[in-house]
This record gives sequence, structure tokens and C-alpha cells, in this order.
Amino acid sequence: MTIDELRAKAAERQQTCDQIKKMIVSRLDLEIEPGWITDDQPLFGRGLELDSLDVLELYVAIEAEFGVALYDSEMAVFGSVSRLADEINPALRARG
Amino acid sequence: MTNVLAATHPEGTVYGEIGDATVPLRFSASPEALSEEYTALRERAAVIDLGGHRLIEITGPAAVEFAQRVLARDVEYLTSDRCMMSLVLDEDGRIVDQVIAFGREDGILLESSCGAGARLLEHLRERNDEGAEIADRSEDLAIVGLEGPYAWGVVGRLIDAELASLPFESVAEATWDGVDVVFARTGFTGEYGYQMIVPRESAPGLWSLSVEHARPAGQEALELAMLEVRQPMPRHEATPGASVIEIGANWLVDITKESFVGREAVLEAFESGAGRSTVGFTCAVGVPAPGTRLMAGDQVIGEVVHAVHSVGLNATLGLARVDRDLAAAGLELSAGGVGVTTLTSPYIVPKSWSVPII
Repeated sequence: MTIDELRAKAAERQQTCDQIKKMIVSRLDLEIEPGWITDDQPLFGRGLELDSLDVLELYVAIEAEFGVALYDSEMAVFGSVSRLADEINPALRARG
Repeated sequence: MTNVLAATHPEGTVYGEIGDATVPLRFSASPEALSEEYTALRERAAVIDLGGHRLIEITGPAAVEFAQRVLARDVEYLTSDRCMMSLVLDEDGRIVDQVIAFGREDGILLESSCGAGARLLEHLRERNDEGAEIADRSEDLAIVGLEGPYAWGVVGRLIDAELASLPFESVAEATWDGVDVVFARTGFTGEYGYQMIVPRESAPGLWSLSVEHARPAGQEALELAMLEVRQPMPRHEATPGASVIEIGANWLVDITKESFVGREAVLEAFESGAGRSTVGFTCAVGVPAPGTRLMAGDQVIGEVVHAVHSVGLNATLGLARVDRDLAAAGLELSAGGVGVTTLTSPYIVPKSWSVPII
């Protein structure tokens, strides 16, 4: 893969991650800029310190904004923004 | 710093010097030691000698004001039933240490990371404009940790089963064998984690009882498990000149807090968008040394920060700092002539995420 192809592939993931961060900040009324959340930081408990009520809110928000239902998924999908991106945009994972 | 538990550790324990501390790396010289200790931590329960973590007490009328200024997260209303992890930064926004701050009735108790306590103590004393009372409590207190998907079961056998289900980062006063214990639900590895702060003379007894119910795990197993869930480890990641943003430890900084040492520098680094970003990687062969160049084709795009063999992945696991436009999972790159693949965190899913406390 050329460096331009690598950059394009990275940009696709970063774009999905950015969309997720904006959704999290907006839906959960966080007082931080979306970019402050990193792709790999933990989201629950440690990290963004979201709780189970926040998860419910995010389930609804993800279905509304991305058309993806994660209700039966394991908690691991919320392991990080980047992990969530794999679920929301499976093309990222398939080509990862 | 003298290891108070050294006399209780088995013959053959392998020690290492980390910063100002001598800590058990593995509890046996067997080649299988790391794997067995790691497996206990990830599959069952492990007891951890946290003797390399220094306890620093900040008290007096100015304690909270001082702590609020030197910690990167908001501790103004940290009550005695709560604790939180935070970075301590210098004026240039560089990481001095990653600490756990415990709210206390008369101030704040800080737990340094492994081997970083002396440096942290010096940093705090140099900046004590408020005149807070700063004391090194490691002379009279010690910490024993528990980590693992069934660590909660050990808590019941040691002290009180009800403590096991404390919410994350909650703290309770308890007693064990007639002595006061500061008991906290914490965790470094994504598994259920607890810490018990006890008088130093009681630590060997608590440790001996703990190892009847959980396997001891050394610093190597602990750090591997931390890496697998992208828990920042300043001693490996805070390379000279690296900003908090490049390290990806933003979540240990409360940027909405009005003022703290290092805030302006961190904010400037964030807003400038300059510098590199940290991403995890794996490779099938070898463990590249820190500083090994990361390549995309024949172009240098970054360098390895830290790498080890992951027992859980049965492959190399590392962190690299790369150009921002290539900081993403799923890319095929190379390091030292070996193909590497960038990863999505967490690199191992903790078993505790699917094991309820009962």
C-alpha cells in the first residue's frame, strides 16, 4: 500500500471516530471539545467515566445517527471510540 | 525505598529497580513466571505488591488549594469516600507523574506511580507556595493491590464481601486484624481492582493472607495488563519532549478546570494540532526497541515508544508515536524491517467486563 493509500485509510477511520466523538459530546452534554476525546481512551469507568445510563443513551444515539443497532452487543464494543468505529463502519474492520 | 514485603516474598523472586523503588518483577525465576502471573491476573485474581508506589499526604488549611493547583484533574470536592486518577504536570505541560488522589478528612493523599515518588515529592515541595503540609507517608503506610475478574471474591475472604461491590473509585474505611484499612476500588488493568492501604507493620500479614486466595503477580505482569487496556504508563510513554496530547493521556487532565500547573501548555499543544499521536501495534516476530523507526514503505512516519511480548495476544504488543495523519488502527507498516499492524484499543478485552460481582 502506498503512503497515500495508507493516509486515505487512516482518514476514513479518523472521520468515523470524529463523528462518534461529536455524537458522544452532544448527546451526553459533555463540556469538552470532541477532539479532546482520544480514539483509544477507555470510555466506561476509567477514561470518559460514562455509566450504564450513558450506555443506554448511546445505544439510542448510535441507532438514530448511524442506523446501527448495538443493543445485543457485548460491552467490549464500547471499549474505545476506535472500537466503536469498527462496529459502526464495519468496512474499517474488514480491511483492517 | 525499602520493600516492606520483601521478607514475605518467595526465594527466587526477581527484583528490579524502577526509579527510586526496588520491586518484584516476577515471583519466580521460572521462564513461565510471567505467563502464569499474567494468566492469574486476567483469568482469576492476582495480589500485587504496590510497595513501589509512594504515599504522599497533603494536609493543613491550604491542602486542597495546593492540590487543586498541582493536579491536572479537579479535586476541590474530592470527599473522603472517593479517589481519582490524575496527571501531575510541570509548567511546560510535561508529565511528572500519574497519581491516584484519595480525598481525606484533613486533605488529600497521593499515591505515586511505581518508582516515581521521590521525584513527585520534590516536584510538590518546590511548588508549595500555599504552605501546605507535605509528608511522605511511605515510612508508615503500605499498599497491597488486587486485580482480576474474581478479585472481588478475595475481598470477601480478606475483609468484607460488601466492599467488593463498591462503585469504581470509591473509598471506604475498614478494619483488618484490628488495624484501620483505607480500602479503595481502583484498578489499572480493566479488571476488577482494589487497593488496601494499611500500617506498614501490618502489610506482611495482609499479604500472607492474600496469597492464600490469589496468586502474586509482579510488575511485569501488571504493566503488560495495563498496556493491553491502554492505561498510560508515564515511565515508558513520557519520552523527552512528548506532550500529554501526543501520549494520548488527555483523559487524565480536566481541561475544563480553570487553572492548574501545565494547563496553558497542554491547551496550546491541543489547539496547535502539532506533534505526533500514539497508536498501538502488533507484530509476529521480535520486540522492537524504543526508538526503532516506524516506516510506511520507505518513509519514516514515527518511532516505537514501548513494546513487550503480550501473553494474551501471543504476539508483540507495543505503542508507537506516529504522524497524526497515520495515527489509526488497521494500517500495515514496518518497524526494524518487520511488518507491524496498528491496533484498536483495548488490545485485550478484560474478562471482568463480562463477569458480574455476586
